[in-house]
Amino acid sequence: MMEYNQQLKLQAYLDGELPEAEAREVANWLARDREAVALLTELRNTRQALAGFEAGFRVPESEDFYWSKIRREIERLEPVEAPVRPAIPWFKRLRGLLIPAAAAAVLAIAGLVVMQELGLRQRGTPGEAETALADAGTFTYRDFSARATLVWLTYPAENEVAGEDPIGTMD
Amino acid sequence: MTDKNHSSADDAALVRAAQRGDMTAFEELVVRHRDKIYARAYTMMRNEEEAIDLSQEAWVKGWQRLKQFQGESSFGTWMTRIVINLCLDALRKQKRQRTESIEEINEESGGVERQMPIVTVNPTAGLERSELRQRIDRALSQLSYEHRTVLVLHEFEEMEYKQIAKTMNCSIGTVMSRLFYARRKLAALLADLKKQDK
Repeated sequence: MMEYNQQLKLQAYLDGELPEAEAREVANWLARDREAVALLTELRNTRQALAGFEAGFRVPESEDFYWSKIRREIERLEPVEAPVRPAIPWFKRLRGLLIPAAAAAVLAIAGLVVMQELGLRQRGTPGEAETALADAGTFTYRDFSARATLVWLTYPAENEVAGEDPIGTMD
Repeated sequence: MTDKNHSSADDAALVRAAQRGDMTAFEELVVRHRDKIYARAYTMMRNEEEAIDLSQEAWVKGWQRLKQFQGESSFGTWMTRIVINLCLDALRKQKRQRTESIEEINEESGGVERQMPIVTVNPTAGLERSELRQRIDRALSQLSYEHRTVLVLHEFEEMEYKQIAKTMNCSIGTVMSRLFYARRKLAALLADLKKQDK
């Protein structure tokens, strides 16, 4: 009776899984062992019987029916493709924020420059003095460079009597 | 119905078209390879309904993973590997649900096949192709899924021992042992069927 390992070696020989040196050893062994030859023949016959076994199989469903089930499943599993917004890298997003911020800064600077220009022009002009028509005793002076407005009020007013208490006295 | 223009295209062109989303090209690929994919599923599962379901599942997976297919093997081989993996998963699930029989435990330990007498006469000699297929079909049904799978991967998928071990997540020694048992058991079953004829 052959050893189990020898039987497996014989099978490996049949399947071409042995290195060349071992395959030669098995070939020599087969030349003098009839039992080994018988086992190898049995294994070979089984292998030959299986050859082409699957070739005769046909799907027992019509072509259209078989495909329709596959297509339905594919369509069911595939999500309806929403319009994909491309991912915006962080630096582009930052750039998107920086552009309006920079525009606002430019406008602010331009505004300041204009205001400064106006201020300079105004600095060159002397202060403006005006007298309120409604009240001849009131005198207003505006100094644009100092951004100051001074209002003089004559007291008592010219239309009032000096020393007269407008509210009256307690006594 | 598949596009008539596709019927003259080779598999590689159909795969490229399908990768761009052309479902009619994929349908043509299904038409060409569906019998082979179904046959592999049936040989492994031994059940027509399961084989249809798993082969269709394989096609759905094939469509979903089509962009990963780079043409390292033929499209048919790539699809066959998908269906084999699906069948293995299904068989493992089935096995977890049932307890092992004493015979299966003996098969796993690798002792039974040593005592089987050698079948000296070819039990399939002179048989018609259809008759031979029927007998092999019956004999394969009597093997455990581990033995049948090793046989399928080796004989039909032409995988080497190393590849089978990787696919089945076992050692090369286990592959050799299972393959040896499967072949010997198949020979004995075919010889029994021959005797029953007489």
